Amino acid sequence: MRNVWLIAKREYLERVRTKAFLISTILIPLLMGGGIVGSIIAGGKAKSTSHITVVSPDQQLATDLQAELENGRDSHMTVDVISPGNSHTRDTLDSMLADKQLDGYLWIDPAPTPSERPKFSYTPRSTADISTKGSIRSALNTVLLRERLAHQGMVSSDVNAMMEPVTVDTTQAGKSADTTSSFVAIYVLFFLMYMVIMLYGMNVARSIIEEKTSRVFEVLLATIRPEEMMAGKMIGVGSVGITQVAVWLAAAILLTSGPIMGAIGGGSVHVSLSAMQIIFFVVYFILGFMLYSSIAAALGAMVNSEQELQQLNMFLVMPLAACMFALAPVISNPSGPVARVISLIPFCTPLIMYLRISLAMPPWQEIALSIVLMIATIYAVLWVASRIYRVGVLMYGKRPNLPEILRWLKYS
Amino acid sequence: MPIVELQHVRKVYDTKVAVDDISFTIEPGTMFGLLGPNGSGKTSSIRMMIGITVPDSGTVQLFDKPFDRGSLKRVGYLPEERGLYKKMKVMDQLVFLGQLHGLDATVASKRAHVWCEKMQITEAIPKKTEELSKGMQQKIQFIAALLHDPELIIMDEPFSGLDPVNATLLQDTLIDLRQQGKAVLFSTHRMDQVEKLCDAICLIDNGRVVLSGAMREIKSRYPANRVVLHFSGDDSFLRHPSIESFKNYNGQAEIKLVENADGQGLLAEAVKHARITRFEVMEPTLEEIFISTVGDKVDA
Repeated sequence: MRNVWLIAKREYLERVRTKAFLISTILIPLLMGGGIVGSIIAGGKAKSTSHITVVSPDQQLATDLQAELENGRDSHMTVDVISPGNSHTRDTLDSMLADKQLDGYLWIDPAPTPSERPKFSYTPRSTADISTKGSIRSALNTVLLRERLAHQGMVSSDVNAMMEPVTVDTTQAGKSADTTSSFVAIYVLFFLMYMVIMLYGMNVARSIIEEKTSRVFEVLLATIRPEEMMAGKMIGVGSVGITQVAVWLAAAILLTSGPIMGAIGGGSVHVSLSAMQIIFFVVYFILGFMLYSSIAAALGAMVNSEQELQQLNMFLVMPLAACMFALAPVISNPSGPVARVISLIPFCTPLIMYLRISLAMPPWQEIALSIVLMIATIYAVLWVASRIYRVGVLMYGKRPNLPEILRWLKYS
Repeated sequence: MPIVELQHVRKVYDTKVAVDDISFTIEPGTMFGLLGPNGSGKTSSIRMMIGITVPDSGTVQLFDKPFDRGSLKRVGYLPEERGLYKKMKVMDQLVFLGQLHGLDATVASKRAHVWCEKMQITEAIPKKTEELSKGMQQKIQFIAALLHDPELIIMDEPFSGLDPVNATLLQDTLIDLRQQGKAVLFSTHRMDQVEKLCDAICLIDNGRVVLSGAMREIKSRYPANRVVLHFSGDDSFLRHPSIESFKNYNGQAEIKLVENADGQGLLAEAVKHARITRFEVMEPTLEEIFISTVGDKVDA
């Protein structure tokens, strides 16, 4: 155990000290921050600030529309009102459009009969300016609705109260299943695992290849067992990955909480997770990562160069991707036999068992069994990997084929 | 109590017989030379001694008990293919390898400093391994093998790639270690080194032992029948009956004696006729013994 720890410590410290680690650890949160600031700016832009002219025979409608567009919920436009227009108005406005003095004009023709709506036509300077058109449409809806309600004899304060946007609180009391939250958590877990396995699982494989090419292994094998070395490498490189992800997650939580999200104007999905869900998220993430890293270690033990590794890396993520197909049956019946069996397959456990836990708590025996099975699988994969490694490093040269690998397992 | 004992060890890789029935023992306080041409099975034998591979048949005993990984903490190993972590600082590297051999970090670092001084590479301590010359890296690796004060030191081709000054430094260090009672095994294909250093040897060829035993004993098996004689004056003593043949290069004679002659009679005769500046009965060199044993297969 001491040897595993020593190998892991060396691997961790050597990697964390590199510039590459420092840069990527800092750069990703910076990019996230940049993205959020960017979206705030873009969000500000999305509130249309165009300058338009409204031409209307109905003075009241035009000024209501002007008020809504200039100080409305989603627009801060500059609006000029011409009421009523005459035959020269259209020509004047067209030339103003050409001179870029205007972004567009809205022409309102009176309704032919009182029961019908007036006819609206908007002429933009650029047809690509969708947001202004959208703002005008929603402002018109609001104004017309308000007008209609006022006609029905409703007091204007009541009208305003009625027009308030509805907020739906998705937070639920108790531990009952919150499907949206579970869904989000599952997808976050999936993508996090996928990303980390691709990035750091591959690093485990690479570090084992590095050990082969630097030929340090012979000194190491003269004191420690290959499985100790494998386990040490996996834990060391894996911890680097977990450190980095933890930094990123912390940055993400900081960035998306409080004032910044407030500045964007909220509107995000509100995810509520219980403490239990968070604990299992961490447990299954780490176990899943270790399991897939042990496969990466085995792949690294089999090949002699990174190029060869590239050809094999699909084997690393295939089982994880396959789990995504199992999501639907598990969601429809989280305690059914299909879900129970799949959630005990070690390669699927992290995602599927976690999904079951967040939908309907399975019996603790099943959770314990799934964890035991995962640990046993990790150990078995490492054992096989270390066999392949021990024989593989001593017989350099071509990549072994399957019968050869099976034969190597018998060597000791 | 033998430190290493190999008995009828055999190892086959796929189709190639790497080691075929090798036996030898190494006693404490001896310098043991494992000799043989390239591909003769030296490295394969060494790897079985330290548990990197396991023999197909036969037994390996370390420290007078069947092989057990726990014994490896008492063994220092310098592999033929040198390897260190390139990006790692020298001191970190030595401490790491020392810790793997059971030392604690402060002891490892203290000893590493002492050894670096001894091996004259103190200036390398703060550097990264990749910044060092090959010879220096080799010395670092040499230190790494000795840091934990092993009782058995196994070195695969320790002198290859070293300049004469450093080779001597390493040689003296090995002699010191033998004096301290350690068992030292090294493999080489350079006969002159073995001749000077080793108390016992094992020569293997094609995975089989060709010649094995204490150096004195092996040499005594081959007759010392050559004499080098430097003289000035009358050369008529060269017709002495104990001489089978000779070559005389202006007073530097190389003489081959007849079988079982000991040369003393010749010396007495020569003194009567000429002034003798050198008289030496030459032992057969290992190289000569090799050639007479394995023919011209040895690529010395």
